[in-house]
Amino acid sequence: MANVKIVATTGCPTGIAHTFMAEESLKKAAKKLGVEIKVETHGQVGVENELTKQDIAQADGVIVAADKDVYAYRFHGKPTVEVSVAKGIHEAEQLIQTIIDGKAIVYKTKESDAENEDESVSSNNKNNVVHSIYKHLMNGVSHMLPFVVGGGVLIALSFLFGIHSADPDHESYNPIAAMLNDIGSLGFQMMVPILAAFIAESIAKRPGMVVGFIGGLIASNGGAGFLGGIVAGFIGGFIIVLLGKLLEKMPKSLNGLKSIFLYPLIGILLVGVIMTLLVEPMTTINEGMINFLSNFQNANPVLLGLIVGAMSAFDMGGPVNKAAYVTGTALLGEGNFYFMAGVSAACITPPLITAFATVLFKKYFNQAERNAGGVNFILGSTHITEGAIPFAAKNPIIVIPILMVGSSVSAILTYMMNIEVPAPHGGFLVLPVVTGAIQWVIAILIGSLVGAFIYGFHKKRAYLKDQQSKGGGNDGQQIA
Amino acid sequence: MDNKLLDINQIKLKQQLTTQEEVFEQIAAIAVTQGIASDPEEVVVGLQKREQESTTGFQDGFAIPHAQVDAIKRPAIVVVSSKEGIEWNALDRKPATFFIALLVPKREAGTTHIQSLASISRMLIYEEKREVLAHAEDANTVMEELAGAFA
Repeated sequence: MANVKIVATTGCPTGIAHTFMAEESLKKAAKKLGVEIKVETHGQVGVENELTKQDIAQADGVIVAADKDVYAYRFHGKPTVEVSVAKGIHEAEQLIQTIIDGKAIVYKTKESDAENEDESVSSNNKNNVVHSIYKHLMNGVSHMLPFVVGGGVLIALSFLFGIHSADPDHESYNPIAAMLNDIGSLGFQMMVPILAAFIAESIAKRPGMVVGFIGGLIASNGGAGFLGGIVAGFIGGFIIVLLGKLLEKMPKSLNGLKSIFLYPLIGILLVGVIMTLLVEPMTTINEGMINFLSNFQNANPVLLGLIVGAMSAFDMGGPVNKAAYVTGTALLGEGNFYFMAGVSAACITPPLITAFATVLFKKYFNQAERNAGGVNFILGSTHITEGAIPFAAKNPIIVIPILMVGSSVSAILTYMMNIEVPAPHGGFLVLPVVTGAIQWVIAILIGSLVGAFIYGFHKKRAYLKDQQSKGGGNDGQQIA
Repeated sequence: MDNKLLDINQIKLKQQLTTQEEVFEQIAAIAVTQGIASDPEEVVVGLQKREQESTTGFQDGFAIPHAQVDAIKRPAIVVVSSKEGIEWNALDRKPATFFIALLVPKREAGTTHIQSLASISRMLIYEEKREVLAHAEDANTVMEELAGAFA
């Protein structure tokens, strides 16, 4: 029998130690078992000893020992063993033996996370699912973040020219402000599609991205907000995974056709139809919420504040939040400046919660989060609620309720102190025209700090828990 | 060459340590005394963060904690061993006693240092090397053995 040739790739999040230990371990084992091996390393300094197309084509099998994305889709169609970097280090001989014995499974472009760990001793299944959902969300959020920050700060800058300076019909119109606002708004419009695109990309690589992007655009245009975007991302990713399974039987020679024609065509069609149907009820939900809210317009301050606060922080730009905002602006037109004060307070609070939390509980946030938190002081102060979305999207089930509590506190205090805000936007920039400006700021600060402490303690607990049990989320952004 | 990776003063054997936290604090303290890092706390947090992602415990009592944070001014290796075994979630479930910490500045451009650090990790794959280190009675032996990895 001719010499067995194996190619392998290793990688770990930090790329200082384990990547290279796995490399050495595989080489050592290969030597012992008398097989030829080439190991590519994804370390701190980038990819070294990179596998060429020819290397891969000539190999009898592939070993992927990595805890980060090492572009495994390159190995499509090759017998592949895919494991964590730790197994690459400790079980190198078994891995190579699996390939020699021809027991390796032919690699198909797929999401591997759940699959390669089911043989692992210590991890249980449920954790894997949670972990991979978190990983997909993180991928979406980290790509979305720059759009939120860049777009948000530009919009905030345009407010400095006056709250209505971007409106050509207004006397304070300023072309530079209008341009800043337009550019910033474009960044914001990309936010949800990018979120969806990269959630799907994390699930199903490049074909997933295309489908997620279109799904996200539909969610965004349909008014489904970032929660709709998250849904679109997961649907998009799984459509491609499913298509991959359905098209498995197709002859290999048609692989090119699959990725350039079939995946995008069928994928976009499917996600388009599903998402269109899903966003259909958004208008109804929005209108329903507006009606619901109108029943409480004259309710007591605590109840009204609770409802307005919870609605404003619930989906930040989705149908529920918009219902509160639209009601607020409509009532402004009727001369009711009281209602809007609570809505504004509730919309300013979520970014400030994240901002204060990253300052007060610095230790439990990574660098990217701390930077985004700093920017959120600006976005919060200018009523750009979207700044909180990257934080919320990472862990919506926990973070959204926290934001809702903080916003409710701000809104309740605002209503109790009878504050009046006559402007629909602008945050603290409109303070000169606010009746009870100081009390308003205090109300918002209290709500933000309450939220920040709950959020901070949650992060602290998660951090400590993570430290006890091994593993946990690996933060791809921290040190790639 | 003033910024060498390893120095005899960066090796402290048979320390009285009982928890992971104490090990990290010891590593950070050595790093600060030797002018490798400016802020011990940041080094500890960096090491903990990495540990959180997945254990750096290897096998036979060896662990390679590492960190890449702003407070680290130059790349360096700090070696600590403890008298008692410390739980490290290592894959072989043995407690750890020998810690080879790899400290890297946030902005480490030079690839040579990373490669030197990587070669330390590679070395641990070999059982005979591990044995020499585990049985080393003094810092000089460890120093010589590790220096061999750079060759």
